[in-house]
Amino acid sequence: MTNAAFPQARIVPLRMLKPGTAERLLNMLAGIAGIRRMMIHGPGLPKTVPYGPARGSPNPHSDRTAIRVADAEIALRVQVGTVILEVEDASVIEEIRSLCDDFFVEFPYLLQVGKFMKTTPTLVDYARYGPDADGSLIGLTDPRKGESPVILRTEQ
Amino acid sequence: MAYKPQYGPGTSIVAENRRKQMNPGQKLEKVRSVTDEDIVLILGHRAPGSAYPTAHPPLAEQQEVNCPMRKLVKPTEGAKAGDRVRYIQFADSMFNAPSQPYQRTYTEMYRFRGIDPGTLSGRQIVECRERDLEKYAKDLIETEMFDPALVGIRGATVHGHSLRLAEDGMMFDMLQRNVLGEDGIVKYVKNQIGEPLDRAVAVGKPMDEKWLKAHTTIFHSLVGTAYRDDAEYVEYVQRIHSLRTKYGFMPKEE
Repeated sequence: MTNAAFPQARIVPLRMLKPGTAERLLNMLAGIAGIRRMMIHGPGLPKTVPYGPARGSPNPHSDRTAIRVADAEIALRVQVGTVILEVEDASVIEEIRSLCDDFFVEFPYLLQVGKFMKTTPTLVDYARYGPDADGSLIGLTDPRKGESPVILRTEQ
Repeated sequence: MAYKPQYGPGTSIVAENRRKQMNPGQKLEKVRSVTDEDIVLILGHRAPGSAYPTAHPPLAEQQEVNCPMRKLVKPTEGAKAGDRVRYIQFADSMFNAPSQPYQRTYTEMYRFRGIDPGTLSGRQIVECRERDLEKYAKDLIETEMFDPALVGIRGATVHGHSLRLAEDGMMFDMLQRNVLGEDGIVKYVKNQIGEPLDRAVAVGKPMDEKWLKAHTTIFHSLVGTAYRDDAEYVEYVQRIHSLRTKYGFMPKEE
């Protein structure tokens, strides 16, 4: 659950990122002090074929791979389309902007400022995490998937 | 004076391409070549080289009823042999893909016989007798109506036509049926429903941006030709819209 006091931003590249590029981008962002929460968003890459006559058969996909960000390993389940960030204050967004300006050279990107994360727990969150859930974790992962967020410990 | 179809309005290159694809009198440019066996592999309906399974005995072996329509309409090869009805489905990216669902249906209706197309916003399916399908699919894949990166042959799980492209310019595909190789050639590694193929099927290099812009049939204000730049098209659509709206009031044109 987000706190309205913290600004949020969203990085929208004009192309969907390959795992390698996403890894470099996230490692660059992990080096910035002042990012509270970060979410990777994009269309899903299921492990099995979800529809049609081949439903249930394995779905090998080269982009569904594990990437290493700071000290943690993240298993990508989506093609990285956007990165949503919650930061300590507006100056961090400017820092992100200046780093992203140098990062995205082959195709453009947008840095949008607004509200992009959940502001209150939904019924599904309540059913999954109960009434005493840790507010800082809600909205970061899909409550139906049973995966927990990854905590990055950087040197700063 | 004999009726001459106009196929569609518009003065832009997009309108011109739409007319070109629809007009059966215009030969579509052959851009790539794919073997018959490759088509059969991508379609995934039967094993290459195997006989066509049938849904009914060949027409020649049947006692046909005495029907004037049957005398008038000659059956297609597939119908004559009693083939099953099978399909091919395409998903076309909005980023200047050379054909688009509605466009495909119009084109196929003008050019092919014995088909049953189904049109949706992001995908278009066409059903017909199996051996006719293979012939039509070859036409659809080899000519300028296809681009290896921006058109996907997807029987199921078609999501991707309206998404941003991947870094390498490929349209998003959840099942990654086609991959862009190191050599710059796109290969199908799964058939249209997502079952892995025994061998990869090459469908050629993705076309460049300039070619796509010159051959697309979709208006796109950011990457291609803007709709509002084609005044004739806008006027035509506004006229249709106006007449449809006024229809209930018995419109009379001034």
